[in-house]
Parts: sequence; C-alpha cells; structure tokens
Amino acid sequence: MDKSTFNKTFNAAAKWPWLVLTPVLVFIAIAIFSPWITPYDPVVQDYSVTLEGPSAAHWLGTDYLGRDMLSRLISGVRVSLFAMSIVLIAALFIGVIIGSFAGYVGGKIELVLISIIDIVLSLPSLIFALAIIGVIGPGYWSMIMALTMAWWANYARMSRAVVISELHQPYIEAARVMGSGHLHIFFRHILPHVLSLVIVYASADAGALVLAIATLSFLGLGVEPPTPEWGQMLVDGMSYLEEYPRLVILPGIALTLVVVSFNLLGEQFALQKVPRALRGYKLKRKKRQRQLEEDIILDGKVDQ
Amino acid sequence: MINTNRRVFIGGTTALSLAALFPRGLIAAENGKLTIAISQETGDLDLLQNVSSLSAYSVVFDALIHYASDGSLVPALAESWTEASDGKSISFKLRKGVTFSDGEPFNGETAVWNLKRWMGQPDFSWIGISDAMKNITIDGTHEITIHLKQPVPAGLLEMTIVRPVRFLSPKAVDASGKQIAPIGTGPWVVTSYDNTKTSLVRNENYWGEKPDFNELELKVVPDELARSNGLRSGDLDVIGGEWVAPLSPRRARSMQKNDDVTVISAPGTASILLAFSPKSSMVSEQAVREAISLSLDRNAIVKILFEGFADATANVFPGNIPAGGKTRTVTPRDVNAAKGKMSSAGWSESGGSWSKGGKTLEIELLVSEESLPGSRRLAEMIQGQLAETGIKVAISSVDNATIHDRRPSFEYDMTFMVTYGAPYDPHGTLANLFLSDVDSGPDGKIYAHTDLDPILRTALETGGAARDAKMQEVYDWLDNNAAVCPIVAPQRLWAYSSNVSKFVLSATDYDMPTNGVKLGS
Repeated sequence: MDKSTFNKTFNAAAKWPWLVLTPVLVFIAIAIFSPWITPYDPVVQDYSVTLEGPSAAHWLGTDYLGRDMLSRLISGVRVSLFAMSIVLIAALFIGVIIGSFAGYVGGKIELVLISIIDIVLSLPSLIFALAIIGVIGPGYWSMIMALTMAWWANYARMSRAVVISELHQPYIEAARVMGSGHLHIFFRHILPHVLSLVIVYASADAGALVLAIATLSFLGLGVEPPTPEWGQMLVDGMSYLEEYPRLVILPGIALTLVVVSFNLLGEQFALQKVPRALRGYKLKRKKRQRQLEEDIILDGKVDQ
Repeated sequence: MINTNRRVFIGGTTALSLAALFPRGLIAAENGKLTIAISQETGDLDLLQNVSSLSAYSVVFDALIHYASDGSLVPALAESWTEASDGKSISFKLRKGVTFSDGEPFNGETAVWNLKRWMGQPDFSWIGISDAMKNITIDGTHEITIHLKQPVPAGLLEMTIVRPVRFLSPKAVDASGKQIAPIGTGPWVVTSYDNTKTSLVRNENYWGEKPDFNELELKVVPDELARSNGLRSGDLDVIGGEWVAPLSPRRARSMQKNDDVTVISAPGTASILLAFSPKSSMVSEQAVREAISLSLDRNAIVKILFEGFADATANVFPGNIPAGGKTRTVTPRDVNAAKGKMSSAGWSESGGSWSKGGKTLEIELLVSEESLPGSRRLAEMIQGQLAETGIKVAISSVDNATIHDRRPSFEYDMTFMVTYGAPYDPHGTLANLFLSDVDSGPDGKIYAHTDLDPILRTALETGGAARDAKMQEVYDWLDNNAAVCPIVAPQRLWAYSSNVSKFVLSATDYDMPTNGVKLGS
C-alpha cells in the first residue's frame, strides 16, 4: 500500500468514526455465534493429533491434548466477553447507585460512602481481586464477584462527581420548583449525565477487564477447565513455549486484539468521535426535554 | 634471602611450565565449583525446623545409616548395627575418627545428645522410632543402643531420613539448645547463605570420599524455565530433582535436543494416586471408583503429560520400594467395562451423564497447581477421559493453603495425592495417609476406613520375614475395595551441563547429588 492510498484510507476512517466499532462488533459477533462457527468441539480431546501444526483440517493446529486451537480461540471470545460484560454491568450498576446516592444525599452518608470508595480505589484492582478470591475461593463466579468488587469504585467516584455538579445546575432547581420528586429528578435529569460519562469510561475499561480475567485464569483462579479461556491457554502453552510457541502466541494475539479493539473504542468515545446516539439515548432525550422546558419558560416570558 | 643458582632457576622454571601445560580441566576440577539450582533458599538449615527442602541438609549433615538406591541400608556414621531378637533395641557401632566440621569429635556422647534432641519429643511422634523410644544408652566411646517400648519394624529405615535425624555439632547450639549454625559431619561446610544462594566449601575432614572439587553453590532459581536457561548458558551445572529444583518432563524432553546438556532419568520412588474422599457421597460406591479406574488411559497420560518419563502403575508404591507389594498389571482403558460397572450398580445413563435415585453423578476433583505442579493439566486430561464414560468431573483449582485446609476435612470427591517416596515408604505413607486415627495434619488421607485400620496396623507392627506378606494384605484390601486409584509413578529427572564430566544420581531426591560428581570436560 503506497502512502497516498494509506492516507486516503486513513482519512476515510477518520471521517467515518463508526469504523472503530468494527473490530469490537466482529468480536461480539464471534462471541454470540461461537457455538455454531467452531469447526470442532473445543473440549474434545483427540490424542491421535496432539501438537499438530496448522493444516487444512486444523487451521491453527492442535494443542497438547489434540484439541483444535481455532475452536478453542473462538470459544474463548465468548467466555472472555461474557465474563467482562457481566463484571462491567454489575460494577456500573453498583458504582452508579452508590456514587449517585452519595452525591445526591450529601452529608455524613456521603462522607462514609466516599471514604469506602477511596479505600477501594487506593488498592490496585487486580491485587484487591486476588485478595477477595483468596477469601471466597477460586472459580468462575468468584472471579466475577471479585472483579466486580474491585472495579465498581471508579464508577462510583465519577458518578458522585457528575451528580454534585449537575445538582447545582439551574434546571434542577427549576425542576424542584415545578414539584418534581427526587426519583424523577434523579432518573430523568441526572442519571443520563452520569451514564454518558461512565459508559465512556467503561468502554475503555473493557479491555483492561478482559486482561484481568485472562490474568486470573492464567493464575488458575478464574475459569475452570475444560472451558476454553485465553489466560488458561496461555499458561498451558507455557510448557511448550520452546518447541510449539504458537500455543502461547495465538491466545496472546487474540487477547491483544480484543484489548486494542476496546481501547480504540474507548478512545474514540472519549474524543467524542462516535455519534451521540451511542453515547446515551437517555442523554439525547434529556437534552431534548431540557430544550422543551426552556422553550416553555421562554414562551411564558414572552407571554408575560 | 633465598639462595638460587642457575640449576635451581632452570629447574623451577621448567616445573612451572610443565604445571601450566597440565590439563586445565583437571586443575579446574580440583579447585572447581559446582553450581546446583535449588527452588527455594536453604535458610539456616535448622535440623528441628522445617526451613528448607531436605536435600540441602543432606550435603552438610550425615545420618548413622544411609539409604541406597536398591533400598538397602548402608553404613554412614555407624559402621554396623544390630537389632535385638525381640526388636526392642538397636545397637550401633559408630565410626571412629569422625569429626564435625568445627573439629568437635563425633562419638557416643555427641550421638546420644543429638538423638535426644528429637527422640521422644511430641513434635516428632510421627517418626515411629521416636514415638517408641524408651531410652538411649552409651555402651562405649563409640557404641550406643536405642531401647524401644515396642518393636518398630521400620525403625532402621527411619534412621536414614534427613530431618531431624541427622547429626549436628554440640557446639552449634546456644544455651537454650537452639541451633545457631549448620555444622555437621557431611562433605560440605556452609560459608554463607542468603535468599539468592548458599555457598559451601569442601569439608577437608570429611570421613568419606571427599568431593573432587572444592566449592559448591546452591543457587536459588524458583522458575523452572529460568533454571533450564541457566543450565544452557552455563550459569548452572545441575538442575532437577523432585525435592531440589524440579525439571518437568516437557522441559527435559526439549533439553534432550541440546548438545551441551545431558538429561538423565531413573525410576522414581513415589506414585501419583487419585484419592477418593471417604466422606463423599459421589464416590462412596465401589462401582463408581472402579468405573473411574477403568476409564483412565494411563498410558496416554504417561505419553502426553509425562513425555514418557513416568510409568503407568496399578500399585500404590513403585516396584523399587521395599515391601511395596507385588506388581499388579495395569488394566488397559475400557470405557465399555466402566459403563458396565455403572449399569450393574444401578446407575442409568442419559444425556451423557449418570444418575441414580434422582442423584446425578458429578464429581469434584480438587487440585492445586501450587501443591503439585502439572496437576491441573492432569486433571483436565482425566476430566476428558471420564467424560467419555459419562462421568462428569468438575475441577476445583485452588491454592496451596486451601487444598491443605480442605484435605483433612475431606471436602472433595477426588484429589491427587503423592506417596512420600523412599526412604519414607511404605511405612510413612501407610501410617500417615491411611490410618484413620493418626493425625496427618494438612496432608489429609489418601483413604481411611475403620476396616482397613487393624489390617494396616498389624502390617506396620510386623517385622522380619512376615512383613512382606502382611503388607501385601494391606495392598490387597485397597485393591479389592478400589480404595485408591494409582495413576503413574513419575521418573526422577535431572540434567547437567558439559561442565560436569561425571554425574552420579543420589539414592533418592531427598539427597543432593554431589557424591561422585566430577567437573571438567
């Protein structure tokens, strides 16, 4: 590809920010359809084809138990993305609820909650997750719980900051004067602002979470065999690193691609290059509502 | 002032020139250093504390008797020994002219002082001869007798173990009796130790054959890949040994392709067994345990996971363990026979799993990679093999602390257990890991049953010619009840670099292989 062709492609990509969604969408599609697109059962052992190189039958070769590497990598997408999604949703839910509540009610409750948030934030997430697994024991759901408990605090802190800043906006005062209840104000006016910010952060965090899941599985504290998982494939391949490096390189590449894809998406979100629709339908609705309210007020003034 | 003339000068110069021409390897060997990898630091080698792997002690401390590769007992600090006909006393004639590396003489008095540090002490009641000790007498300058409350058939074998049995200089303790320095009668003397290495020099007063080189370094390299790279690069001379710095079968196979490295393997003295929890409702039926055993493809496990460096086994102990029982033939894998066992016991198969009385068979296999390296992959392979019979296995991979918490309370259906190996077996494993009323601490039990206890106790208490037959009764009971499922006996694996010209395996991996080793190309 010469320079001008590259520039054209790059410019086209820059003009069309939706392109950045492509890798993530591809991974999501693979995750959803993995049971139907894997050429072999990823857990079935076949000792007659152990450690075979890439061939027409096994495009990416087989592992030490004769399992098809491509099928295991494809199934690994589903496992990683599913675990990541659950952790993100749970962490977002807990973080937004606690953070928003702290910011909204203020006072001593806020002080207590923000102290807890600060304590959790002061601990490195992965170390904290390891400590939790140490207490509750390893396993798939333990890993999800541990990562959720280690990940929610960031979202709580951000949510609180947004709530505090929005609470002082005149339109909130106006809503109160108009007789809106707390729940209405929170869900209708504040939550969309909170979500628009934390979702941006979450999209960038997704890559880190996939990596954390792989790390815990690498340490034997996450997904249990025979479920194919990239971190576990990496640790299994380590023994064969010298003679069969592909057993380590392939899951490593898969992991890198997913992390880079989510990081790119997060970056584009942060730079506001992705269309607003993706940043929060709620926010859009809220803005429209605010515009409407302003128009009504302005109309009222004109009438007076 | 030295008087020299032309003749002396020429003679001296010629001698020096000839010395320079002398093969470098031989000089290097005499003054050379052997570097052996160890996976954990040696610490202060306190004989009464569990501070390091046993192999590190073996280069500094000797026992009265040593264990030989063929399972026989050979003289060490004792030149000879005699067991009383009633088995209630053992007399030792000690080797004369032996001194500790600090110059203290080794004699009856120092031997008894050493023995009394651990014999009869509650902390060491797990050693049969310690538990049975009545008193120890000094019969002469170099003669002692251990008097026992009851015969201990494995007593002599127990006298070969490393900690706390070996002998320390009486000057190497403080006023409270705590060891302050690792001073023994062995071939090496510790000069320094920290968390990266332990340096030793040759004990010039050693009573046995002195090492060929004058320095030994035990270098701490916890990571197995780093150890093999260290061997290739010349930083290390020797790696391997189950209790020293394990070399995995995979790595050993890959290192065989390296011209500068020699890999040696020898039959091991320990077995890996699939242990069934006596409290598990899933494996309480003998038919289920038999079906599991029939479903295992041991030869595939040997070939794939152990790269051929193991032997498929149906015995609790490998064949080189004295009184380890008759060798049983390994039953080939037979999925249909396994299914037949399940069906005959009233289990019905549907949807790829077995159920009976509303209970679906799903077995938890507790493993810890930290506790037994490679066990997670072994578990995964077994999980796949049992799946073909329709036996569902859920692997619980836990850390070292958790597995040692859960084993004593039998919080699992199946787990991997490893026998202790020589010189602790068969009595060590049988007494600690099978007798239901013996506290085996965090190790748990391989299997425990009140019906087994009296048979086992009789076997352990029987000495002489009848011992083998009584031990066989134990093995037969275990086999008839499918109480354990032996899988493989891993081989001992070591590798050495081209800096080593001769390497001699020690009798067990509890001993560091330095005796007989020669340096130089």
